[in-house]
Amino acid sequence: MPSDRVVERRRIFQQYKADVKERGKPFYPYAMLHDTIMSLVVVCVIVGLAIVWKYTTPGDHHSTAAGWLGKLYDKPADPGTINFVPRPDWYFYFLFYLLRIFKWPESVVLGTIGIPTICLVLLLSVPFIDVRTERRLSRRPVAVVAAVLVVLSMGILTYKGATAKEALGTELLADVPHWAQKQGFQNNPKAVAGAKIFAVAGCLNCHQYLGVGGGFAGAPNLSAEGAKNKGIAFQIAHLKCPACVNPGSPMPSFAGLGLARLTLLANFLEASKGPK
Amino acid sequence: MATRKLTRSEQVQQTILYPVDWLEERSGLVGGIKYFLFRKVPGDINWFQTLGSATLTAFIVQALTGSILAMYYKPDPNSAYSSIQHITNDIFAGWLVRGMHRWGASVFIILMFMHMGRVFLFGAYKYPRELNWIIGVLLLAMGLGEGFTGYLLPWDQTAYWATVVGININGTAPFLGPFIAQFLQGGTYINADTLSRFYAIHMLMIPGAIFALIGLHLYLVIRLGVTSPPWSKEAAGTGSLVPAGQNGHRSGLTRFRPRKGKAS
Repeated sequence: MPSDRVVERRRIFQQYKADVKERGKPFYPYAMLHDTIMSLVVVCVIVGLAIVWKYTTPGDHHSTAAGWLGKLYDKPADPGTINFVPRPDWYFYFLFYLLRIFKWPESVVLGTIGIPTICLVLLLSVPFIDVRTERRLSRRPVAVVAAVLVVLSMGILTYKGATAKEALGTELLADVPHWAQKQGFQNNPKAVAGAKIFAVAGCLNCHQYLGVGGGFAGAPNLSAEGAKNKGIAFQIAHLKCPACVNPGSPMPSFAGLGLARLTLLANFLEASKGPK
Repeated sequence: MATRKLTRSEQVQQTILYPVDWLEERSGLVGGIKYFLFRKVPGDINWFQTLGSATLTAFIVQALTGSILAMYYKPDPNSAYSSIQHITNDIFAGWLVRGMHRWGASVFIILMFMHMGRVFLFGAYKYPRELNWIIGVLLLAMGLGEGFTGYLLPWDQTAYWATVVGININGTAPFLGPFIAQFLQGGTYINADTLSRFYAIHMLMIPGAIFALIGLHLYLVIRLGVTSPPWSKEAAGTGSLVPAGQNGHRSGLTRFRPRKGKAS
């Protein structure tokens, strides 16, 4: 026998159908008029954005200059690049920033997979968590508070993601002599050359080194990487294919830098025994 | 005379309507469209309830502009970037089509979230519409998947490195992660096949699923009806039935004044 709740909600739906039949309006033309107006607004906004995107972009449009809405395109993809900024489209900034919050290797899986999965499951189960028939907002305080919190947190994460500063290779190059002095590898030309590659190759977009850079996606602090004495060969193999050496690592391959640069980088990492 | 003229006009009418009748007799489509257009919706529905059809419009814009882009785009690492430049600078109105696709994606995703927020605040996911909420959440996930796979296609630096990191992050998921990463890349690393794979996912697999889910979504909307705003004094289903004949003073978007003398 169905429970009282089931009987009640069935009765309400039957009442709904009777009410609509009795006092409803035909979809055409009443509701359809407003749907059409709204759809026209949407198309106009999209066309408007496309126009602003093109006409605020300075110069000839073969360059990578940015207009009000950003670049028409960036430089061509180059897997062997020595500087890159991993930045998704703006509507993924909230996920992107989660990875900066969970920066410790042990917790990074929470930011990458854990929280998004939990949110998706919660979202799917909304109709099964809230099974009351009440629809008035004044009688649904939990739903209202939840909605406000979700909007606030997604807004803040998106904002923080949009304003998060990437480490700029050219600025970091100025830090190299300071690093060499602190780590004591001034007299090791290979390590100094490696430090320069390290500064411009985008490593510090994720990793941290002597207080600068990253904290993204669980990348470890490399200030004392050399103290682990893993050896040049290990460092090169790891840079070529991080996930082969360290299963599950989200770090991309840097094989594109070429063996000569990787050797210098490995020398730099091994010389980083921690600040003195 | 009069009867004869009437017969003639009836004949003309029949000739004109013959294809419609032919179609109706064989498919029932005409009746279906009539039902769709003239079905009753609550009289107090609201501008917020146009967000769903606005989302559909944004998706149709994406489908149309995407089809045009597909005529010129080359999903191969050697020519993808130059084909995007060609579309933007050489093709007639290519910049407009690409710009509409690029920014239509953002509008589509914003509208999906706004539509979901409206459904949530109206409590419109409640019995018997639970299944439609689930389909909507799946559509949201698919839409974000379109955003992720489409971002790589210009094959520029931003696209490439965001995708490398995105795939690697997928790969960190327990159990399924490595398989998902390998499926997306078409191999253990990102390679030349990754781009065409993303292209196939972006323009065939996910859009196909989205079309099917939108069909189901609309079928359920038509079958179960649209909810009244919860604050409405005459919300359908609250049992405050206004006696027939007194329904001319109702507020709401689709104000409907019954004609005098007509039984309502």
